[in-house]
Amino acid sequence: MKFTRWYDNNHKKILIIPALLIIISLVYLSYFTVQNQDIIYKDVSLTGGTTITFSTNISVSELQTQLSQTYSDVSVSSISDNTGKQLGIVVIIPDTNENAIMNLKTSIQDVVGFQLTDENSSIEFSGSTLSQDFYSQLVKAVIFAFLLMALVVFIVFGENKKIKVYSILLTAATAILTFSVNNSIKIPLVISVITVFFYSLYLSKTKKEYIFSLSLITIFFVFYFLPIYLAIIPLAILLFTIYAVVSVPSIAVILSAFADIVIPLAIIDFFGVKISAAGIVAFLMLIGYSVDTDILLTIRVLKKKNESVNNAIYGAFKTGTSMTLTSMVAISVALIVVYNFHSILNQIFIILIIGLGFDLINTWITNASIIKWYVEKRK
Amino acid sequence: MKITLRMWIMFAFIAFALISIFSIPPTFLKKGVSVTSVESNTSIYDSGLRQNMVITSINNQQINNLQDYSNIINNIKNTFIGNETQKVTIQTNKIEIIGLFKENFSNDLNVQNIPKTRIITGSDLQGGIQALVSAENHSLTTNELNDLISVTQERLNVYGLSDVNVKPVSDSDGNNFMSVEIAGASPSNLENLISQQGNFEAKIGNETVFIGGNKDITFVASSGQDVYIQCPQKTLCQFYFAITLSPGAATRQAILTQNLTINASSGGRYLSKTLDLYLDGKKIDSLNIGIDLKGREVTNIEISGAGTGADQEESYNDAKENMKKLQTILKTGSLPFKLQIDSLNRTSPNLGKGFINTILIAGLLAFIGVFAIVLIRYKKIKLSFVMIFVMASEILIILGIAALIHWNLNLASIAGIIAAIGTGVDDQIVIVDETKRSKSEPLKRRIKSALFIIFTAYATSVVSLLPLLNAGAGLLKGFAVTTLIGITTGVFITRPAFADIVRQLEE
Repeated sequence: MKFTRWYDNNHKKILIIPALLIIISLVYLSYFTVQNQDIIYKDVSLTGGTTITFSTNISVSELQTQLSQTYSDVSVSSISDNTGKQLGIVVIIPDTNENAIMNLKTSIQDVVGFQLTDENSSIEFSGSTLSQDFYSQLVKAVIFAFLLMALVVFIVFGENKKIKVYSILLTAATAILTFSVNNSIKIPLVISVITVFFYSLYLSKTKKEYIFSLSLITIFFVFYFLPIYLAIIPLAILLFTIYAVVSVPSIAVILSAFADIVIPLAIIDFFGVKISAAGIVAFLMLIGYSVDTDILLTIRVLKKKNESVNNAIYGAFKTGTSMTLTSMVAISVALIVVYNFHSILNQIFIILIIGLGFDLINTWITNASIIKWYVEKRK
Repeated sequence: MKITLRMWIMFAFIAFALISIFSIPPTFLKKGVSVTSVESNTSIYDSGLRQNMVITSINNQQINNLQDYSNIINNIKNTFIGNETQKVTIQTNKIEIIGLFKENFSNDLNVQNIPKTRIITGSDLQGGIQALVSAENHSLTTNELNDLISVTQERLNVYGLSDVNVKPVSDSDGNNFMSVEIAGASPSNLENLISQQGNFEAKIGNETVFIGGNKDITFVASSGQDVYIQCPQKTLCQFYFAITLSPGAATRQAILTQNLTINASSGGRYLSKTLDLYLDGKKIDSLNIGIDLKGREVTNIEISGAGTGADQEESYNDAKENMKKLQTILKTGSLPFKLQIDSLNRTSPNLGKGFINTILIAGLLAFIGVFAIVLIRYKKIKLSFVMIFVMASEILIILGIAALIHWNLNLASIAGIIAAIGTGVDDQIVIVDETKRSKSEPLKRRIKSALFIIFTAYATSVVSLLPLLNAGAGLLKGFAVTTLIGITTGVFITRPAFADIVRQLEE
């Protein structure tokens, strides 16, 4: 009872915690981006480079000392089994041409004293152009996945059918802008979609007029000042503004999912971790996992019957934390077992664990407080 | 407990998954060794042994596994004297081969134990090579890519490589690549093999008449009126297609054929020597030379060949396939661009081995972890077991579908399975909790509301995976596809069944 009263009085105030977390993360990420010209440190799978893995007992430091005489940018690390016994060594250099790979092989052979064959070693390389393309495509995929998730959330929780249709059209237009290879269909398609949008809004009154003026500014901005591939940013902002104006429950879910990505990203960057392609996929998985609990919470609160808001939130909290905790335990156990193999799974698991941890805050403080605020105000 | 329709559906899918994974009769009960590759143009190949056949006995000695096979082969080898040939009887699951072979005939084929399941693991788990190839400073058109892929497949066949998967892929920027994936051990010069277009040579005796590339062969007809297939008999079809040689190549052809005699046994239709086709230095085919070509400088040549089969359709298709193969070979080296390997991943079979076991252990421990949490939370042993059972059946169904569609399970796919199972457990918790709360409402409605939550969450997951399908030339397609399979079977098959079970436990 005591807690209920405290929660009733303070649910708005505690929003300051996630708000601070999000702001600090965003500020740090902006600073980081300015410093590094990119939002993450990319590992070899995203910058291009060569990785050689081989079985040996030789120590990491010994090989590192030897190789760094020839290679300024060489990374050496070990892989081991679960008893801690070293299974092999991983050597990474940023070069990808054939000579560089042959030279690296020879240098390693000189140190370890045996031939690297297909039986005792693995080799992996990806060219820098391919890797950079891959990176930009993955980033686009994550941004777009987020937009689509937001659209589905809005379709489920939003109330205005007409605006739902506009959002679908606008998201489709953004998709065409971002992914279409064929330039000739791009511009007419987007213009026609936006004209429909524009015209329908012109006919409506009140809240929609607000959206209308915003759309106008954004669309103007997109077409006059931005190269077409950057259009996704203002269009995304426009979409989220529409969601925020029309449906508070939707934007609460979207905001919580956004925080679930931004905060772990800032932490990963802060610790200087190099993110791989798999790591980016982990952020995508995080979108899916984090909205599960938000959707549960929102449906329970919005569709509740003869139940107080607090009870509905508490019921959802019990279910939701069980969901998140089982996922976290299962992933942590799996991470401990596979950790020493240093595979792509490690980074996926680590990002998921951090993300799920913050999802507890973002769902049960951010989203819960906003939805409580909204439902009580609506009364 | 009453078994409802939804539960029956789930059981049916589990049964189907088991069949799909282990096949009927189960592959782990099968005896013999499976042939992974046979070198072409060898006596054992000519006697009919092909890839994927299962050898069950040699000289009437039964073969149960690889060990038996190498013992028997070693015993047989010891009976050979010098360079003589011996009669060897090989019983396979399809045909019985009785032939005269030399001592080292077993070098021409590779065998392995029959795989225990029909699940295919990726080259990053079982060892092998995965590469993306594109053209240097040139963006590949679909036609060029298809030609490149046919040529590469043909060349990899020449090397007797098994389990080769060459396919076109494109990324979300619209770039085209050739993806080459070879599981298991592969030759160490494979990088060179796939980064070059290959050498094609046509020789008469030891003299080269023409080589691959636009300089000698200016045109190979692959459609239109210059290409046709005739079937004079039901069991025999003949194909014809035209090629155009450069004047230089035509002159060489005339010089090399003018001193040839006529082959009497051919009924006077052909010359005494054949035109031998070599791919990367290996003879792969021989064509008879018509007498009308003798000593003449002809730039337009008609190439013909035949296909056979039990009926007209079969022989027609055989002819068509042989023709395509020949056209492909003649196009080798003629692609107007240089190739480059954009990415290559060569995993040693030894390094990958321990990892699959570790992943299985990780999975098992994760199961136990989930079981413990569910047990602590609900304090109901029956319910916890049902949850674990449904979770396990979800994995089984994903693996079953993967085996059915020959999906290559790589590390990314395993991450996908983990994602799908995580969502599955979450959804089960929603179902259980939803049935337990607000008893004022009828149970049916509460379950409906749980399924609504689940379906909304499902929709958001599906849409967020879609953009990943093509990103990076499908390098992460494995992840997206397995997750989609997993969450879809979950939502439509296992979760409704689970809801029914929970309802009955609750009632």
